[in-house]
Amino acid sequence: MSGQGNHEGADEYTVAVADPLLMETLHRLFTQTGSHEVVQAAETDGWAESIWAPLAGTGAPWVGVDEAVGGSGGSLVDAVGVLRLSGRYTVPLPVAETGVLGGWLAGAAGLALPEGPLTVIPSRPQDDLTLDGDTLSGVAYRIPWATRAAYILAIIDGEIIAVQPDAKGVSIEMVRNLAGEPRETVRFERTPLAHRSAAPAGVDPMALRRRGALCRSAQIAGACERIAELTVEYAGQRSQFGQKINRFQAVAAHLVRLSSEATLIGMALDATTYALGQGDAAFEIASLKSIAGDSGSDVIARAHQVHGAIGMTREFVLHHLSRRVMAWREEFGSTAWWREELGRMVGGVGADALWPLISEGSAARLR
Amino acid sequence: MAVGQSSAHVGATKGFTYTTFTAAEEALKQEVRQFLRTELPIGSYRPCLGMSAVHDGEFTRKMAARGWVGMSVPTRYGGPARSAVDRFIVVEEMLQAGAPIGAHWVADRQSAPTIMRFGTDEQREKFLPAIARGEMWFSIGMSEPDAGSDLAAVRTTATRTDGGWLLNGTKIWTSNAMQNHWFIVLCRTSPNEGDRHEGLSQFLVELHGTPGLQINPIAFLDGTYHFNEVVLTDVFVPDEQVLGEIGRGWSQVNSELAYERAGPDRFLSVYATFEQLLREKLAGGELDARSYDVFGRITARYWALRNLSFSISRTIDQGGAPAVEASIVKDLGTSFEQEMIALLHDLWDDEEPSQEATTLGNRLLAACILTGPSFTIRGGTNEILRTVANKGLAAWHGVSR
Repeated sequence: MSGQGNHEGADEYTVAVADPLLMETLHRLFTQTGSHEVVQAAETDGWAESIWAPLAGTGAPWVGVDEAVGGSGGSLVDAVGVLRLSGRYTVPLPVAETGVLGGWLAGAAGLALPEGPLTVIPSRPQDDLTLDGDTLSGVAYRIPWATRAAYILAIIDGEIIAVQPDAKGVSIEMVRNLAGEPRETVRFERTPLAHRSAAPAGVDPMALRRRGALCRSAQIAGACERIAELTVEYAGQRSQFGQKINRFQAVAAHLVRLSSEATLIGMALDATTYALGQGDAAFEIASLKSIAGDSGSDVIARAHQVHGAIGMTREFVLHHLSRRVMAWREEFGSTAWWREELGRMVGGVGADALWPLISEGSAARLR
Repeated sequence: MAVGQSSAHVGATKGFTYTTFTAAEEALKQEVRQFLRTELPIGSYRPCLGMSAVHDGEFTRKMAARGWVGMSVPTRYGGPARSAVDRFIVVEEMLQAGAPIGAHWVADRQSAPTIMRFGTDEQREKFLPAIARGEMWFSIGMSEPDAGSDLAAVRTTATRTDGGWLLNGTKIWTSNAMQNHWFIVLCRTSPNEGDRHEGLSQFLVELHGTPGLQINPIAFLDGTYHFNEVVLTDVFVPDEQVLGEIGRGWSQVNSELAYERAGPDRFLSVYATFEQLLREKLAGGELDARSYDVFGRITARYWALRNLSFSISRTIDQGGAPAVEASIVKDLGTSFEQEMIALLHDLWDDEEPSQEATTLGNRLLAACILTGPSFTIRGGTNEILRTVANKGLAAWHGVSR
């Protein structure tokens, strides 16, 4: 939701914050349902119905998807808020895939949203897919929760297609990301399409990658915020050499710095969320995903160092968060890929336009 | 309070609210950019490295004519009474251009707001209009040979005498003392026993024509001269030049330091160098993947850091006192400046940096390499800053201590 603020009687400036009531509801839902054990068990089961059922009941996975196509309405700002919280509480489910990614593609294709979760083919360079008449053949990699999805959606040759994972000719191999989340390899052999239609303008593989990068960055932002809290709290409880370890200056430096890096990701996300209301936010998303990767890596390295050996165990909560940052920074374009992409944008605008780009973002490119 | 039980900040960035310019602020930005296009066309001058800028009284007076010096000074003291965000705009535009803002830098950033806050009405009348006209320039009088990050260790004394005070001691790292008019001197007015933060006081002292005050130059490592040692021997300071309350110097100086922390000066020192190196690299043809990677990384971080710093200005205008937040910006910003020098240097590994190099980019890079170590020292070392910030961190995060 957009809000307005007043500044000394002057005209207004803008802020973009997620609906606080929605955030409060999800905070309560995730803290009640997303226990350490449930998240742990999801690594084996590939699913957590005890979170999904109440979450789906709130409609949160479909926030940001138009009500006209069966979504929950609300803005992309709210959807980003949902994902930030899902990252904060390590929700082991396809929240991003169902709404901001799959729901967006389904809506663009005029496909009625099914009740269950959706997923998308992220388009890895190794993918090899062919459309032949009304069937799909070939292989695609790293598809999130493919087995569980009502539809697997993709953009191929300018068309949005949907297939059902239990359709004829589909075989799925379970592969997991570093956080133990399903990222499956799916083979299609003359699999009949459940849907096929021309992709409208603005719906293309790069737009999907941008959306995916936005989602993973929002999840990383949420995870890093919680890592910072956990680590600062832990360092105030753990004693060594007769004193709390947060009294050691070397430890204090880690605590301040990881809080700072987590904050930088949060601000990058907020700025991007605002820019999404103005256009494709290509500059912001490229910047955001590279910051989420670089700063997120710094946050988890310092958090683990402060926690010591206990942080390296499955019984302690840190690994749920840190392994997700390790995994998510790779998805929908790695940190290095986005840095280079952003560098090309910078080269494209040139030195004279660099400062306007930094200080105005995508708005400067559009002028 | 245990983690996860508070929802006050979930789904939002703690301590920072993203903000945008109002139409009036946008117009100010355009006005500053137009001024820079006229006064400092790209390629017509050698950009300065952020706040370590050339001391140029004429440029300062031109800025003052636009109302861009002493920006916080209220109209009844001859100032433009601009907001923190307005000052942020002018400062970031000047710094990105590497403009010669050295003459008024300290007066605008900290002396004017300090005099406004703690000064008498007579002091405000005397100093603030002159600062806002760009005619009165200030230096900082805090550091001493034995008081660096540990400011409470200052040994310069002020002892009571008829009608005023006698100052004795040595101030050091006093930038531009040879050109500036006044400095605000932190002194001990009662002995350093018990609480060492008690018994400190601030005095307004004229740098030239004051009997007993001697300025000795200190050469900076790159051969430039802006540092000085200022020796005070029985310097008489009348009661009218006591700033604020005797004995309250510690809290006054801390409020003065807060102005130093979160501004664009903490991340833009190397910006003009970055822009020039990009210009030269692009003129040389297609960039390789490594260059794109470095330019992308630097650009992303500039963009995010700038939004943090901008957000703090907005918070200040709303009456907030963002202490942990300001430390975050200074720590991130100054560390980043040093990291980017190394990243950029790697892209020019076939050309050794030199102050006499034929290309401007290389000369600027050489200056950054030489002076870069100072970025995380000036205004209080980052190590001390983190130690101080750490004390408020648990409360800031809303977790148990």
